[in-house]
Amino acid sequence: MLGTGVAALMLSGCSGGSGGSGSSGDGSINGTITVQTWALTPKFSDYLDGVKNGFEKEHPGVTVKMVDQPGDGYSDKVLSQASSNSLPDVINLPPDIALPLAKHGYLQNVGKSDSSLASTYVAGALDAYKYKGLDGTYGYPWYLNTDVDYWNKTMLSDCGLDPSKVPTTTDQLFDQAATMHQHCPDKYLMSRKPGLGDFTLAGVKVLNDDGTKFTFADSPEAVDLIARYAKAYQQKYMPPSVLNSDYLGNSTLFTQGKVAWTTGGATSISDFEKNNPSLKGNVIVSPALDTAPLYVQGLSVSAKSKNLATAEAFAKYMTDAKNQEAFAHLVNIFPSTKSSQSDPFFSKDDGTPNGKARVLANEALKTAKNLTPVEANSAMSTFLDQQISLAMKGETTPKEALQTAQTKMNTLLANG
Amino acid sequence: MRANRWFTPWIFVIPALVWLLAFSVWPSINTVRLAFTNASPLGGVSRFVGLQNFQTMFADPQVWEALLNSVVYMAVCLPLLTILPLLIALLVEKRLPGIAFFRTAFYSPVIASAVVVGLIWTWILDDRGVINEMVKALGIVQGPLPFLTDRWLLLFSAISLTVWKGLGYYMIIFLAALGNVGKDLHEAAALDGAGAIRRFWSVTMPGVRGTMTLVGILVCVSALRVFSELYILTNGSGGPGGQDQSVVMLIQQYARGFTGNLGYASALSLLLFAVTLVPMLVLARLNSKAQQ
Repeated sequence: MLGTGVAALMLSGCSGGSGGSGSSGDGSINGTITVQTWALTPKFSDYLDGVKNGFEKEHPGVTVKMVDQPGDGYSDKVLSQASSNSLPDVINLPPDIALPLAKHGYLQNVGKSDSSLASTYVAGALDAYKYKGLDGTYGYPWYLNTDVDYWNKTMLSDCGLDPSKVPTTTDQLFDQAATMHQHCPDKYLMSRKPGLGDFTLAGVKVLNDDGTKFTFADSPEAVDLIARYAKAYQQKYMPPSVLNSDYLGNSTLFTQGKVAWTTGGATSISDFEKNNPSLKGNVIVSPALDTAPLYVQGLSVSAKSKNLATAEAFAKYMTDAKNQEAFAHLVNIFPSTKSSQSDPFFSKDDGTPNGKARVLANEALKTAKNLTPVEANSAMSTFLDQQISLAMKGETTPKEALQTAQTKMNTLLANG
Repeated sequence: MRANRWFTPWIFVIPALVWLLAFSVWPSINTVRLAFTNASPLGGVSRFVGLQNFQTMFADPQVWEALLNSVVYMAVCLPLLTILPLLIALLVEKRLPGIAFFRTAFYSPVIASAVVVGLIWTWILDDRGVINEMVKALGIVQGPLPFLTDRWLLLFSAISLTVWKGLGYYMIIFLAALGNVGKDLHEAAALDGAGAIRRFWSVTMPGVRGTMTLVGILVCVSALRVFSELYILTNGSGGPGGQDQSVVMLIQQYARGFTGNLGYASALSLLLFAVTLVPMLVLARLNSKAQQ
């Protein structure tokens, strides 16, 4: 699977320290390198082979070995590679997984040997690989994505809502969820719990400036937000199973026609229609509520690579405008290169829902923000999620839940 | 090679010994070592932290909650999975036409994958699953029963799954044990006028007591180490608020990931080991007393 489904699952991280130095990376380009991608084959095997062959043709004497890892358990796989000193030379890493590796010296500071990064890649994408407490840049931004909203037209119409006026803010979402519950007590609009990203959207300062402490529990806005979700849950605006569901549960319920709203990447609509053909022509696409999230994928280079110059050259080649654009024409993702931003392909609506999703996502990326701090890793998110569940069930107050979560998360952050 | 050389037996023992040392003894020793450090999965320097992990552990309400879940799991599973399989074994022990079908039926959940079984039960127990739809159709309750979202109902749902899946396994063990109980003893007891229940208590039970102890120990160990059932039924979340996590789930939660705390997870493992040891010793003691 490609896009925000995986990205959203994996977009989390940990705290900073001192990065890896590696060698200078200004040597000759030759030898054999291994490049690891994440859940791109067999769907994009031809594209990957094309990039590999192109690079080998440009650099005779270089051999590129492409390895693709399955979507599930990727971070565990990378962790085992790092701890056994067998990281590939070039690795597809989102910023959250790159952070602990960079902190422990496993990744090369690619900014050290390349002064053109800032002029090549869009700032938001490049900043994702610059970490608080670490000097340098630890990845070449590759492709970008964001969330758009998907709505089930029939369910909205049947349950007293106007499909032409779908919510654009969190406030409107709660209002329409109440309306839907009034008309269809067995159907739901919402089916997700809030997370750190929602705090950011609510104007909450999630983390202090130097990235050493979480601060969301001190915010009345965060407490209010949890209280609203708790009230919505207790008034049955959401399915009870939402307390056991992760993010993918949200899109799965939407695919099954059990809920009328889900977020998803610009690639999601084809998955919905493939898995449930009855959704074909029945899905409305709209921009994400409030501010769209920014999801970044990148290619990092192992600081322990025996062919550092070759690895850096390949990562740069694979993330150049030409190769990124070719990739983005195959699937709804967006290049991170500055020169690609004016490509009319991404802003042209071809009249299909898929095309509309692409145009909306492309538009949203202009203002999209990384809503979840990269320091918040999956263990922290899990603990916060558990505490929010308790608050939604009414077994603890929102204030207590957030304080408990914050205390634990700060302990984990200090350990990291 | 002469057979009476002193090292001849060792040639046969060494491969197994090396295997045991490498994959059992050393990891156990290493777990004890790690429990006193702040080791992380990404390596680097791990510092000796003394009893800090244990202090943190005993002050952590999540640990006590997980321990309670594991102990309740064991306390409920132990009698059910010791007595029910014995009764089923007694039923299917008879050589009757079609008995093979029942033996197979009871055993089939054992060979089903825990993941598949877990998923099936998730669908059965879901708010709109078979059980809730039946209960709703019968008008017994208004809303759905929260099998997968209520703290205790979820735990007992997982226990039901474990019991259902384990019955056939322990039934086979008891069948083997019942085969070793002498028929002549039953015949002698029958001649003395003992009824079926009397024969069960006076002949069958003494004959399978050792097996019951073994089954009890196996049940205790596997119940305290429960993971799959709870993990699958809660979609990996440990239930709402993580209230239904077992100790093993907690260990997994702390040991995994880039910022995993191997030291703390090792301390939790030692706690689980200590807790597992208690019922094992009690059962072994009860068995030896009964034999005396």
